[in-house]
Amino acid sequence: MMRVLIVDDEAPARDKLRRWLSTHADIEIVGESTDGLTAAAAIDTLRPDAVFLDIQMPGLSGLEVAAQLESDTAPLLIFVTAFDEHAIRAFDLNAVDYLLKPYDRDRLEKSLHRLRERHGGPKTRSAVHTARAQTRSSERLLVPRGEQLELIDASAIHWLEADDNYVHVHTVSSNYLVRRTLNDLLEQLGERFVRIHKSTAVNLAEVARLSPLFKGDHEVHLRSGATLRLSRRYKDALFARMPR
Amino acid sequence: MPAEPNYTGNPRALYSLWTLFWLLMIAVAVQDNISDPYIKWWEPFVWECSSALMATVWLVLQQRRSHRYDQFLSQPLKWFGLHMAWLPVLAVTFIIAVYAIRHAIYALAHDTYEHPSWSFIFMYETVKLTLFMALWLAIIFGFKSFSLWKQERERLLQIQKHLAESQLAQLKAQLQPHFLFNALNTISALMQSDVERADRLLTRLADLLRTSLTVGSRQTTSLREEWKLLQLYASIMQERFAGRVTISWNASDEALNASIPAMLLQPLLENAYKHGVERSSETVTIRVDARREGAELRVLIHNTGELRHDPGSGIGLRNCHERLALVHGDRARLTVAPLDGGVAASVTLPYEPFHA
Repeated sequence: MMRVLIVDDEAPARDKLRRWLSTHADIEIVGESTDGLTAAAAIDTLRPDAVFLDIQMPGLSGLEVAAQLESDTAPLLIFVTAFDEHAIRAFDLNAVDYLLKPYDRDRLEKSLHRLRERHGGPKTRSAVHTARAQTRSSERLLVPRGEQLELIDASAIHWLEADDNYVHVHTVSSNYLVRRTLNDLLEQLGERFVRIHKSTAVNLAEVARLSPLFKGDHEVHLRSGATLRLSRRYKDALFARMPR
Repeated sequence: MPAEPNYTGNPRALYSLWTLFWLLMIAVAVQDNISDPYIKWWEPFVWECSSALMATVWLVLQQRRSHRYDQFLSQPLKWFGLHMAWLPVLAVTFIIAVYAIRHAIYALAHDTYEHPSWSFIFMYETVKLTLFMALWLAIIFGFKSFSLWKQERERLLQIQKHLAESQLAQLKAQLQPHFLFNALNTISALMQSDVERADRLLTRLADLLRTSLTVGSRQTTSLREEWKLLQLYASIMQERFAGRVTISWNASDEALNASIPAMLLQPLLENAYKHGVERSSETVTIRVDARREGAELRVLIHNTGELRHDPGSGIGLRNCHERLALVHGDRARLTVAPLDGGVAASVTLPYEPFHA
Protein backbone atom coordinates (compact mmCIF):
# COMPACT_ATOMS: atom_id res chain seq x y z
CA MET A 1 0.00 0.00 0.00
CA MET A 2 1.30 3.42 -0.92
CA ARG A 3 -0.03 6.47 0.95
CA VAL A 4 -0.30 9.50 -1.33
CA LEU A 5 -0.91 13.23 -0.76
CA ILE A 6 -2.31 15.45 -3.54
CA VAL A 7 -1.24 19.12 -3.56
CA ASP A 8 -2.70 21.59 -6.08
CA ASP A 9 -4.40 24.95 -5.68
CA GLU A 10 -6.87 24.31 -8.52
CA ALA A 11 -9.86 22.12 -7.71
CA PRO A 12 -10.26 20.60 -11.20
CA ALA A 13 -6.61 19.57 -11.19
CA ARG A 14 -7.03 17.82 -7.82
CA ASP A 15 -10.22 16.15 -9.03
CA LYS A 16 -8.47 14.68 -12.03
CA LEU A 17 -5.62 13.22 -9.98
CA ARG A 18 -7.97 11.84 -7.32
CA ARG A 19 -10.19 10.26 -9.97
CA TRP A 20 -7.33 8.48 -11.68
CA LEU A 21 -5.39 7.53 -8.56
CA SER A 22 -8.45 6.10 -6.82
CA THR A 23 -8.76 3.37 -9.47
CA HIS A 24 -5.55 1.83 -8.16
CA ALA A 25 -6.01 -0.67 -5.34
CA ASP A 26 -2.48 -0.20 -4.01
CA ILE A 27 -2.82 3.52 -3.60
CA GLU A 28 -4.46 5.28 -0.69
CA ILE A 29 -5.10 9.02 -0.92
CA VAL A 30 -4.44 10.28 2.58
CA GLY A 31 -5.17 13.93 1.95
CA GLU A 32 -5.37 16.91 -0.35
CA SER A 33 -3.80 20.32 0.17
CA THR A 34 -4.52 23.56 -1.64
CA ASP A 35 -1.42 25.62 -0.89
CA GLY A 36 2.23 25.27 0.04
CA LEU A 37 2.00 25.89 3.79
CA THR A 38 -0.83 23.43 4.43
CA ALA A 39 0.95 20.93 2.18
CA ALA A 40 4.08 21.15 4.32
CA ALA A 41 1.96 20.72 7.47
CA ALA A 42 0.15 17.74 5.92
CA ILE A 43 3.45 16.10 4.96
CA ASP A 44 4.58 16.63 8.55
CA THR A 45 1.52 15.11 10.19
CA LEU A 46 0.33 12.55 7.62
CA ARG A 47 3.80 11.28 6.67
CA PRO A 48 2.73 10.14 3.18
CA ASP A 49 4.92 7.86 1.07
CA ALA A 50 4.54 10.03 -2.01
CA VAL A 51 3.33 13.53 -2.83
CA PHE A 52 1.98 14.88 -6.11
CA LEU A 53 3.21 18.44 -5.72
CA ASP A 54 2.01 21.32 -7.90
CA ILE A 55 4.73 23.92 -8.37
CA GLN A 56 2.78 27.16 -8.86
CA MET A 57 0.82 27.75 -5.67
CA PRO A 58 -0.07 30.63 -3.35
CA GLY A 59 2.18 31.25 -0.37
CA LEU A 60 4.85 28.65 -0.83
CA SER A 61 5.63 27.07 -4.19
CA GLY A 62 5.98 23.32 -4.59
CA LEU A 63 9.73 23.72 -4.95
CA GLU A 64 9.91 25.72 -1.73
CA VAL A 65 7.90 23.07 0.09
CA ALA A 66 10.33 20.42 -1.13
CA ALA A 67 13.30 22.53 -0.03
CA GLN A 68 11.99 22.70 3.54
CA LEU A 69 11.59 18.93 3.97
CA GLU A 70 14.00 16.85 5.98
CA SER A 71 15.95 15.11 3.30
CA ASP A 72 16.25 11.74 5.06
CA THR A 73 12.58 11.36 5.81
CA ALA A 74 11.08 13.21 2.83
CA PRO A 75 8.38 11.37 0.88
CA LEU A 76 8.86 10.52 -2.79
CA LEU A 77 8.01 13.60 -4.83
CA ILE A 78 6.28 13.97 -8.18
CA PHE A 79 6.24 17.58 -9.29
CA VAL A 80 3.23 18.62 -11.34
CA THR A 81 3.54 21.76 -13.42
CA ALA A 82 1.91 23.50 -16.33
CA PHE A 83 5.14 24.50 -17.91
CA ASP A 84 8.51 22.98 -18.53
CA GLU A 85 10.15 25.41 -16.17
CA HIS A 86 13.84 25.91 -16.05
CA ALA A 87 13.93 24.83 -12.40
CA ILE A 88 12.33 21.48 -13.08
CA ARG A 89 15.04 20.49 -15.50
CA ALA A 90 17.57 20.53 -12.68
CA PHE A 91 15.99 17.45 -11.17
CA ASP A 92 17.45 14.07 -11.79
CA LEU A 93 14.67 11.83 -13.04
CA ASN A 94 15.96 9.01 -10.88
CA ALA A 95 15.26 11.03 -7.78
CA VAL A 96 11.97 12.56 -8.71
CA ASP A 97 9.45 12.45 -11.50
CA TYR A 98 7.45 15.30 -12.91
CA LEU A 99 4.18 15.54 -14.78
CA LEU A 100 3.60 18.27 -17.33
CA LYS A 101 0.02 19.56 -17.42
CA PRO A 102 -2.05 18.42 -19.16
CA TYR A 103 -1.00 14.80 -18.91
CA ASP A 104 -2.87 11.73 -19.98
CA ARG A 105 -3.52 8.52 -18.17
CA ASP A 106 -0.59 6.68 -19.74
CA ARG A 107 1.80 9.31 -18.51
CA LEU A 108 0.40 9.08 -14.98
CA GLU A 109 0.72 5.29 -15.10
CA LYS A 110 4.36 5.69 -15.99
CA SER A 111 4.88 7.92 -12.96
CA LEU A 112 3.12 5.42 -10.73
CA HIS A 113 5.31 2.68 -12.11
CA ARG A 114 8.40 4.65 -11.15
CA LEU A 115 6.92 5.37 -7.73
CA ARG A 116 6.26 1.70 -7.04
CA GLU A 117 9.78 0.80 -8.10
CA ARG A 118 11.32 3.22 -5.67
CA HIS A 119 8.82 2.76 -2.86
CA GLY A 120 10.42 0.62 -0.21
CA GLY A 121 13.75 0.77 -2.00
CA PRO A 122 16.74 2.76 -0.79
CA LYS A 123 15.88 6.42 -0.21
CA THR A 124 17.41 8.94 -2.55
CA ARG A 125 17.90 12.35 -1.08
CA SER A 126 18.75 14.37 -4.11
CA ALA A 127 15.21 15.66 -4.77
CA VAL A 128 15.21 17.76 -1.61
CA HIS A 129 18.79 18.83 -2.21
CA THR A 130 18.03 19.93 -5.75
CA ALA A 131 14.96 21.82 -4.56
CA ARG A 132 17.13 23.61 -1.99
CA ALA A 133 19.59 24.62 -4.67
CA GLN A 134 16.74 25.86 -6.88
CA THR A 135 15.08 28.02 -4.24
CA ARG A 136 16.57 30.45 -1.75
CA SER A 137 16.07 27.94 1.01
CA SER A 138 19.03 29.16 3.08
CA GLU A 139 17.19 32.46 3.61
CA ARG A 140 14.02 31.09 5.17
CA LEU A 141 13.02 28.31 7.51
CA LEU A 142 9.63 26.69 7.91
CA VAL A 143 8.78 26.31 11.60
CA PRO A 144 5.68 25.16 13.49
CA ARG A 145 3.67 27.72 15.39
CA GLY A 146 0.78 26.09 17.20
CA GLU A 147 -1.10 24.02 14.67
CA GLN A 148 0.23 26.05 11.78
CA LEU A 149 3.53 26.39 10.00
CA GLU A 150 5.20 29.69 9.26
CA LEU A 151 8.29 30.94 7.51
CA ILE A 152 10.89 32.85 9.47
CA ASP A 153 13.98 34.64 8.19
CA ALA A 154 17.14 32.67 8.70
CA SER A 155 18.88 35.88 9.78
CA ALA A 156 16.44 36.17 12.73
CA ILE A 157 17.66 32.85 14.16
CA HIS A 158 20.21 33.26 16.98
CA TRP A 159 21.16 29.68 17.59
CA LEU A 160 20.13 26.08 17.07
CA GLU A 161 20.09 23.35 19.68
CA ALA A 162 19.67 19.65 18.90
CA ASP A 163 17.35 17.66 21.12
CA ASP A 164 16.95 14.04 20.06
CA ASN A 165 15.16 14.06 16.69
CA TYR A 166 14.19 17.69 17.17
CA VAL A 167 15.97 21.01 16.99
CA HIS A 168 15.17 24.05 19.13
CA VAL A 169 15.31 27.12 16.92
CA HIS A 170 16.00 30.20 19.07
CA THR A 171 15.05 33.62 17.75
CA VAL A 172 14.84 36.96 19.57
CA SER A 173 11.22 36.40 20.58
CA SER A 174 10.47 32.71 20.26
CA ASN A 175 11.75 29.20 20.55
CA TYR A 176 10.48 26.84 17.86
CA LEU A 177 10.70 23.07 17.99
CA VAL A 178 11.39 21.65 14.54
CA ARG A 179 11.24 17.94 13.82
CA ARG A 180 14.45 17.71 11.83
CA THR A 181 18.06 16.82 12.58
CA LEU A 182 20.65 19.53 13.22
CA ASN A 183 22.74 18.22 10.34
CA ASP A 184 19.86 18.55 7.93
CA LEU A 185 19.01 22.08 9.10
CA LEU A 186 22.62 23.19 8.80
CA GLU A 187 22.78 21.70 5.35
CA GLN A 188 19.78 23.80 4.31
CA LEU A 189 20.72 27.03 6.08
CA GLY A 190 24.31 26.98 4.91
CA GLU A 191 27.20 29.32 5.65
CA ARG A 192 25.38 31.65 8.01
CA PHE A 193 25.60 29.10 10.85
CA VAL A 194 28.63 27.51 12.49
CA ARG A 195 28.64 24.48 14.68
CA ILE A 196 30.20 25.04 18.12
CA HIS A 197 29.25 21.79 19.78
CA LYS A 198 27.94 18.37 18.81
CA SER A 199 24.43 19.63 19.56
CA THR A 200 24.73 23.40 19.06
CA ALA A 201 25.19 25.82 16.15
CA VAL A 202 25.21 29.63 16.21
CA ASN A 203 24.38 32.35 13.75
CA LEU A 204 27.81 33.88 13.15
CA ALA A 205 26.36 37.40 12.99
CA GLU A 206 24.98 36.98 16.53
CA VAL A 207 28.30 36.14 18.19
CA ALA A 208 29.35 39.05 20.45
CA ARG A 209 32.60 37.68 21.88
CA LEU A 210 34.47 34.59 23.03
CA SER A 211 35.95 34.11 26.48
CA PRO A 212 38.52 31.41 27.25
CA LEU A 213 38.00 28.85 29.97
CA PHE A 214 40.86 26.66 31.18
CA LYS A 215 42.25 23.79 29.11
CA GLY A 216 41.47 25.45 25.76
CA ASP A 217 37.71 25.44 26.14
CA HIS A 218 35.80 28.63 25.39
CA GLU A 219 32.47 30.22 26.02
CA VAL A 220 30.55 31.89 23.19
CA HIS A 221 28.60 34.99 24.21
CA LEU A 222 25.74 35.96 21.91
CA ARG A 223 24.41 39.49 21.43
CA SER A 224 21.15 38.32 22.94
CA GLY A 225 22.97 37.54 26.21
CA ALA A 226 22.99 33.74 25.89
CA THR A 227 26.24 31.99 26.78
CA LEU A 228 27.06 28.75 24.97
CA ARG A 229 29.83 26.23 25.30
CA LEU A 230 32.38 25.95 22.51
CA SER A 231 33.80 22.46 22.39
CA ARG A 232 37.47 21.98 21.51
CA ARG A 233 36.57 19.92 18.49
CA TYR A 234 34.85 22.82 16.71
CA LYS A 235 37.14 25.60 18.01
CA ASP A 236 39.40 25.90 14.94
CA ALA A 237 36.48 25.93 12.52
CA LEU A 238 34.82 28.77 14.44
CA PHE A 239 38.04 30.78 14.81
CA ALA A 240 38.61 30.51 11.09
CA ARG A 241 35.20 32.07 10.43
CA MET A 242 35.37 34.84 13.05
CA PRO A 243 36.15 38.35 11.83
CA ARG A 244 39.40 39.65 13.27
CA MET B 1 12.03 76.62 -24.14
CA PRO B 2 9.93 73.47 -23.88
CA ALA B 3 10.55 70.69 -26.35
CA GLU B 4 8.23 72.07 -29.01
CA PRO B 5 8.22 70.21 -32.29
CA ASN B 6 10.58 71.94 -34.63
CA TYR B 7 10.15 71.51 -38.33
CA THR B 8 13.07 73.61 -39.51
CA GLY B 9 13.92 70.79 -41.80
CA ASN B 10 17.34 71.26 -43.24
CA PRO B 11 18.48 74.87 -42.64
CA ARG B 12 21.77 74.31 -44.40
CA ALA B 13 20.02 73.30 -47.60
CA LEU B 14 17.78 76.36 -47.39
CA TYR B 15 20.70 78.77 -46.86
CA SER B 16 22.66 77.15 -49.71
CA LEU B 17 19.72 77.63 -52.01
CA TRP B 18 19.43 81.23 -50.77
CA THR B 19 23.11 81.97 -51.47
CA LEU B 20 22.86 80.43 -54.91
CA PHE B 21 19.79 82.52 -55.65
CA TRP B 22 21.53 85.78 -54.71
CA LEU B 23 24.70 84.91 -56.63
CA LEU B 24 22.46 84.38 -59.63
CA MET B 25 20.70 87.72 -59.02
CA ILE B 26 24.06 89.53 -58.84
CA ALA B 27 25.30 87.78 -61.98
CA VAL B 28 22.14 88.71 -63.89
CA ALA B 29 22.34 92.34 -62.71
CA VAL B 30 26.01 92.61 -63.71
CA GLN B 31 25.32 90.93 -67.04
CA ASP B 32 22.44 93.34 -67.71
CA ASN B 33 24.44 96.50 -67.05
CA ILE B 34 27.95 95.58 -68.13
CA SER B 35 27.56 97.20 -71.55
CA ASP B 36 25.80 100.31 -70.24
CA PRO B 37 28.33 103.17 -70.41
CA TYR B 38 26.40 105.28 -67.86
CA ILE B 39 26.53 102.67 -65.14
CA LYS B 40 29.79 101.98 -63.35
CA TRP B 41 30.86 98.33 -62.86
CA TRP B 42 30.36 98.36 -59.09
CA GLU B 43 26.85 99.77 -59.10
CA PRO B 44 24.93 96.49 -59.78
CA PHE B 45 26.93 94.92 -56.91
CA VAL B 46 25.81 97.65 -54.53
CA TRP B 47 22.16 97.33 -55.57
CA GLU B 48 22.00 93.57 -55.29
CA CYS B 49 24.20 93.21 -52.24
CA SER B 50 22.20 95.78 -50.26
CA SER B 51 19.00 93.97 -51.18
CA ALA B 52 20.57 90.61 -50.38
CA LEU B 53 21.76 91.88 -47.00
CA MET B 54 18.34 93.09 -45.89
CA ALA B 55 16.54 90.07 -47.33
CA THR B 56 18.94 87.81 -45.43
CA VAL B 57 18.23 89.69 -42.18
CA TRP B 58 14.54 88.95 -42.70
CA LEU B 59 15.15 85.32 -43.67
CA VAL B 60 17.19 84.76 -40.51
CA LEU B 61 14.42 86.42 -38.49
CA GLN B 62 11.87 84.16 -40.13
CA GLN B 63 13.95 81.06 -39.47
CA ARG B 64 14.50 81.98 -35.85
CA ARG B 65 11.10 83.26 -34.84
CA SER B 66 8.43 81.62 -36.95
CA HIS B 67 8.22 78.28 -35.10
CA ARG B 68 4.98 79.41 -33.52
CA TYR B 69 3.37 79.24 -36.95
CA ASP B 70 4.48 75.61 -37.42
CA GLN B 71 1.26 74.33 -35.86
CA PHE B 72 -0.58 75.70 -38.93
CA LEU B 73 1.49 73.76 -41.45
CA SER B 74 -1.52 71.59 -42.10
CA GLN B 75 -3.49 74.77 -43.05
CA PRO B 76 -1.29 76.33 -45.77
CA LEU B 77 -3.55 79.38 -46.32
CA LYS B 78 -3.44 80.32 -42.67
CA TRP B 79 0.30 79.71 -42.55
CA PHE B 80 0.89 81.96 -45.57
CA GLY B 81 -1.57 84.55 -44.27
CA LEU B 82 0.18 84.79 -40.91
CA HIS B 83 3.52 85.29 -42.66
CA MET B 84 2.19 87.76 -45.22
CA ALA B 85 0.75 89.88 -42.40
CA TRP B 86 4.36 90.94 -41.80
CA LEU B 87 4.66 92.30 -45.34
CA PRO B 88 4.01 96.02 -44.47
CA VAL B 89 6.69 95.99 -41.74
CA LEU B 90 9.03 94.10 -44.02
CA ALA B 91 8.44 96.47 -46.95
CA VAL B 92 9.02 99.66 -44.92
CA THR B 93 12.14 98.44 -43.12
CA PHE B 94 13.51 96.88 -46.29
CA ILE B 95 13.10 99.96 -48.46
CA ILE B 96 14.42 102.38 -45.84
CA ALA B 97 17.45 100.24 -45.01
CA VAL B 98 18.33 99.30 -48.57
CA TYR B 99 18.09 102.84 -49.89
CA ALA B 100 19.99 104.19 -46.90
CA ILE B 101 22.82 101.75 -47.61
CA ARG B 102 22.90 102.61 -51.30
CA HIS B 103 22.93 106.36 -50.66
CA ALA B 104 25.68 105.94 -48.11
CA ILE B 105 27.90 103.89 -50.40
CA TYR B 106 27.38 106.26 -53.32
CA ALA B 107 28.30 109.15 -51.03
CA LEU B 108 31.46 107.37 -49.97
CA ALA B 109 32.32 106.94 -53.64
CA HIS B 110 31.69 110.71 -54.15
CA ASP B 111 28.75 109.91 -56.35
CA THR B 112 24.98 110.26 -56.11
CA TYR B 113 22.45 107.49 -56.23
CA GLU B 114 19.76 108.56 -58.68
CA HIS B 115 16.42 106.91 -58.60
CA PRO B 116 12.76 107.71 -59.45
CA SER B 117 10.45 109.46 -57.02
CA TRP B 118 9.94 107.92 -53.52
CA SER B 119 6.26 107.12 -54.18
CA PHE B 120 7.18 105.17 -57.30
CA ILE B 121 10.05 103.42 -55.54
CA PHE B 122 7.75 102.45 -52.70
CA MET B 123 5.16 100.97 -55.09
CA TYR B 124 7.73 99.23 -57.23
CA GLU B 125 9.69 97.71 -54.38
CA THR B 126 6.54 96.57 -52.54
CA VAL B 127 5.27 94.69 -55.59
CA LYS B 128 8.69 93.11 -56.06
CA LEU B 129 8.92 92.21 -52.39
CA THR B 130 5.45 90.64 -52.39
CA LEU B 131 6.34 88.34 -55.28
CA PHE B 132 9.75 87.66 -53.79
CA MET B 133 8.32 86.87 -50.38
CA ALA B 134 5.62 84.61 -51.79
CA LEU B 135 8.23 82.66 -53.75
CA TRP B 136 10.47 82.14 -50.75
CA LEU B 137 7.65 81.35 -48.37
CA ALA B 138 6.59 78.65 -50.81
CA ILE B 139 10.12 77.23 -50.72
CA ILE B 140 10.31 77.41 -46.91
CA PHE B 141 6.86 75.87 -46.70
CA GLY B 142 8.13 73.02 -48.86
CA PHE B 143 11.13 72.45 -46.63
CA LYS B 144 9.07 72.52 -43.46
CA SER B 145 6.30 70.30 -44.79
CA PHE B 146 8.83 67.76 -45.90
CA SER B 147 10.46 67.62 -42.51
CA LEU B 148 7.05 67.50 -40.82
CA TRP B 149 6.05 64.64 -43.07
CA LYS B 150 9.31 62.86 -42.26
CA GLN B 151 8.77 63.25 -38.52
CA GLU B 152 5.17 62.11 -38.77
CA ARG B 153 6.23 59.10 -40.74
CA GLU B 154 8.86 58.27 -38.16
CA ARG B 155 6.34 58.56 -35.36
CA LEU B 156 3.93 56.35 -37.27
CA LEU B 157 6.65 53.79 -37.83
CA GLN B 158 7.42 53.88 -34.11
CA ILE B 159 3.77 53.35 -33.23
CA GLN B 160 3.58 50.47 -35.66
CA LYS B 161 6.75 48.96 -34.27
CA HIS B 162 5.45 49.18 -30.72
CA LEU B 163 2.12 47.78 -31.78
CA ALA B 164 3.81 44.84 -33.40
CA GLU B 165 5.87 44.33 -30.27
CA SER B 166 2.88 44.53 -28.00
CA GLN B 167 0.94 42.18 -30.25
CA LEU B 168 3.75 39.76 -29.95
CA ALA B 169 3.97 40.25 -26.20
CA GLN B 170 0.21 39.93 -26.00
CA LEU B 171 0.15 36.74 -27.98
CA LYS B 172 2.96 35.43 -25.89
CA ALA B 173 1.03 36.39 -22.78
CA GLN B 174 -2.15 34.77 -24.02
CA LEU B 175 -0.28 31.79 -25.26
CA GLN B 176 1.68 32.21 -22.07
CA PRO B 177 2.64 28.69 -21.21
CA HIS B 178 1.25 28.77 -17.71
CA PHE B 179 -2.06 30.22 -18.73
CA LEU B 180 -2.56 28.01 -21.75
CA PHE B 181 -1.40 24.74 -20.23
CA ASN B 182 -3.26 25.32 -16.99
CA ALA B 183 -6.43 26.03 -18.94
CA LEU B 184 -5.87 22.87 -20.99
CA ASN B 185 -5.33 20.88 -17.83
CA THR B 186 -8.52 22.27 -16.33
CA ILE B 187 -10.37 21.18 -19.47
CA SER B 188 -8.73 17.78 -19.28
CA ALA B 189 -9.83 17.49 -15.65
CA LEU B 190 -13.38 18.72 -16.26
CA MET B 191 -13.81 16.33 -19.17
CA GLN B 192 -13.83 13.44 -16.71
CA SER B 193 -16.64 14.84 -14.62
CA ASP B 194 -18.58 17.51 -16.49
CA VAL B 195 -18.48 17.30 -20.27
CA GLU B 196 -20.71 20.36 -20.71
CA ARG B 197 -18.46 22.58 -18.64
CA ALA B 198 -15.34 21.22 -20.29
CA ASP B 199 -16.85 21.95 -23.68
CA ARG B 200 -17.81 25.48 -22.64
CA LEU B 201 -14.32 26.17 -21.34
CA LEU B 202 -12.69 24.80 -24.46
CA THR B 203 -14.92 27.04 -26.61
CA ARG B 204 -14.04 30.09 -24.54
CA LEU B 205 -10.36 29.35 -24.81
CA ALA B 206 -10.75 29.09 -28.58
CA ASP B 207 -12.75 32.36 -28.61
CA LEU B 208 -10.06 34.10 -26.62
CA LEU B 209 -7.31 32.95 -28.96
CA ARG B 210 -9.36 33.91 -32.02
CA THR B 211 -10.33 37.33 -30.67
CA SER B 212 -6.82 38.20 -29.65
CA LEU B 213 -5.59 37.25 -33.11
CA THR B 214 -8.12 39.50 -34.87
CA VAL B 215 -8.05 42.39 -32.40
CA GLY B 216 -4.30 42.19 -32.39
CA SER B 217 -4.06 43.35 -35.99
CA ARG B 218 -5.85 46.63 -35.23
CA GLN B 219 -4.41 49.61 -33.49
CA THR B 220 -7.47 50.90 -31.66
CA THR B 221 -10.67 49.22 -30.72
CA SER B 222 -13.79 50.09 -28.78
CA LEU B 223 -13.81 49.53 -25.05
CA ARG B 224 -16.80 47.27 -25.73
CA GLU B 225 -14.59 44.85 -27.73
CA GLU B 226 -11.82 45.07 -25.17
CA TRP B 227 -14.38 44.44 -22.44
CA LYS B 228 -15.48 41.20 -24.16
CA LEU B 229 -11.90 40.02 -24.33
CA LEU B 230 -11.40 40.76 -20.63
CA GLN B 231 -14.57 38.89 -19.71
CA LEU B 232 -13.54 35.92 -21.81
CA TYR B 233 -10.20 35.81 -20.06
CA ALA B 234 -11.88 36.20 -16.68
CA SER B 235 -14.36 33.40 -17.38
CA ILE B 236 -11.52 30.98 -18.08
CA MET B 237 -9.74 32.02 -14.90
CA GLN B 238 -13.07 31.67 -13.06
CA GLU B 239 -13.19 27.97 -13.96
CA ARG B 240 -9.67 27.43 -12.71
CA PHE B 241 -10.06 29.38 -9.49
CA ALA B 242 -13.72 28.72 -8.74
CA GLY B 243 -14.51 29.93 -5.24
CA ARG B 244 -11.26 31.83 -4.86
CA VAL B 245 -12.17 34.91 -6.84
CA THR B 246 -15.21 37.07 -7.36
CA ILE B 247 -15.14 39.60 -10.15
CA SER B 248 -17.50 42.50 -10.83
CA TRP B 249 -17.88 44.57 -13.98
CA ASN B 250 -19.11 48.10 -14.07
CA ALA B 251 -19.12 50.29 -17.16
CA SER B 252 -21.45 52.94 -18.54
CA ASP B 253 -22.67 52.63 -22.10
CA GLU B 254 -20.90 55.88 -22.88
CA ALA B 255 -17.63 54.46 -21.61
CA LEU B 256 -18.03 51.26 -23.64
CA ASN B 257 -18.32 53.35 -26.81
CA ALA B 258 -14.93 54.92 -26.20
CA SER B 259 -11.96 54.20 -28.36
CA ILE B 260 -8.96 52.57 -26.68
CA PRO B 261 -5.60 51.13 -27.84
CA ALA B 262 -6.23 47.47 -28.65
CA MET B 263 -5.34 44.94 -25.96
CA LEU B 264 -4.16 47.58 -23.55
CA LEU B 265 -6.10 46.34 -20.56
CA GLN B 266 -5.60 42.59 -20.57
CA PRO B 267 -2.09 42.63 -19.10
CA LEU B 268 -3.51 44.68 -16.21
CA LEU B 269 -6.24 42.14 -15.52
CA GLU B 270 -3.69 39.36 -15.81
CA ASN B 271 -1.60 41.06 -13.14
CA ALA B 272 -4.64 41.16 -10.86
CA TYR B 273 -4.91 37.38 -11.22
CA LYS B 274 -1.21 36.72 -11.09
CA HIS B 275 -0.51 38.82 -8.02
CA GLY B 276 -3.91 38.69 -6.36
CA VAL B 277 -5.53 35.31 -6.95
CA GLU B 278 -2.62 32.98 -7.65
CA ARG B 279 -0.70 34.20 -4.60
CA SER B 280 -3.49 34.13 -2.08
CA SER B 281 -5.40 31.29 -0.48
CA GLU B 282 -8.17 33.66 0.52
CA THR B 283 -10.98 34.81 -1.73
CA VAL B 284 -9.87 37.73 -3.85
CA THR B 285 -12.27 40.33 -5.14
CA ILE B 286 -11.54 41.93 -8.51
CA ARG B 287 -13.42 45.03 -9.64
CA VAL B 288 -13.24 46.33 -13.19
CA ASP B 289 -14.72 49.81 -13.63
CA ALA B 290 -14.87 52.07 -16.66
CA ARG B 291 -16.46 55.49 -16.81
CA ARG B 292 -16.26 58.74 -18.63
CA GLU B 293 -15.08 61.69 -16.57
CA GLY B 294 -15.61 64.78 -18.68
CA ALA B 295 -13.11 64.71 -21.50
CA GLU B 296 -11.43 61.59 -20.15
CA LEU B 297 -12.05 57.86 -20.04
CA ARG B 298 -11.00 56.18 -16.80
CA VAL B 299 -10.58 52.42 -16.38
CA LEU B 300 -9.80 50.97 -12.98
CA ILE B 301 -8.83 47.36 -12.26
CA HIS B 302 -8.76 46.74 -8.53
CA ASN B 303 -7.91 43.57 -6.65
CA THR B 304 -7.75 42.85 -2.93
CA GLY B 305 -4.38 41.79 -1.57
CA GLU B 306 -1.08 43.55 -1.26
CA LEU B 307 1.05 45.30 -3.83
CA ARG B 308 3.95 43.19 -4.96
CA HIS B 309 6.81 44.15 -7.14
CA ASP B 310 7.81 41.24 -9.24
CA PRO B 311 10.68 41.32 -11.68
CA GLY B 312 8.51 39.34 -14.08
CA SER B 313 5.43 41.54 -14.17
CA GLY B 314 7.25 44.64 -15.35
CA ILE B 315 7.30 43.81 -19.04
CA GLY B 316 3.54 43.81 -19.58
CA LEU B 317 3.16 47.00 -17.59
CA ARG B 318 5.99 48.79 -19.36
CA ASN B 319 4.46 47.85 -22.68
CA CYS B 320 1.13 49.38 -21.62
CA HIS B 321 2.93 52.56 -20.56
CA GLU B 322 4.76 52.88 -23.85
CA ARG B 323 1.69 52.27 -25.97
CA LEU B 324 -0.34 54.85 -24.07
CA ALA B 325 2.47 57.38 -24.39
CA LEU B 326 2.84 56.75 -28.11
CA VAL B 327 -0.82 57.08 -28.93
CA HIS B 328 -1.80 59.85 -26.51
CA GLY B 329 1.46 61.44 -25.35
CA ASP B 330 1.22 62.94 -21.86
CA ARG B 331 -2.55 63.20 -22.10
CA ALA B 332 -2.79 59.61 -20.86
CA ARG B 333 -1.73 58.16 -17.53
CA LEU B 334 -1.24 54.64 -16.13
CA THR B 335 -0.63 54.05 -12.45
CA VAL B 336 -0.44 50.95 -10.28
CA ALA B 337 -0.82 51.81 -6.62
CA PRO B 338 -2.30 50.60 -3.33
CA LEU B 339 -5.98 51.53 -2.97
CA ASP B 340 -8.73 50.56 -0.48
CA GLY B 341 -6.75 47.70 1.05
CA GLY B 342 -5.79 46.33 -2.34
CA VAL B 343 -4.03 47.20 -5.54
CA ALA B 344 -5.48 49.34 -8.32
CA ALA B 345 -4.26 49.70 -11.87
CA SER B 346 -5.73 52.90 -13.25
CA VAL B 347 -5.71 54.06 -16.87
CA THR B 348 -6.81 57.56 -17.83
CA LEU B 349 -6.90 58.62 -21.46
CA PRO B 350 -8.69 61.22 -23.62
CA TYR B 351 -12.29 60.23 -24.31
CA GLU B 352 -12.90 59.69 -28.00
CA PRO B 353 -15.94 57.84 -29.35
CA PHE B 354 -14.98 54.79 -31.38
CA HIS B 355 -15.86 54.68 -35.07
CA ALA B 356 -15.35 51.31 -36.72
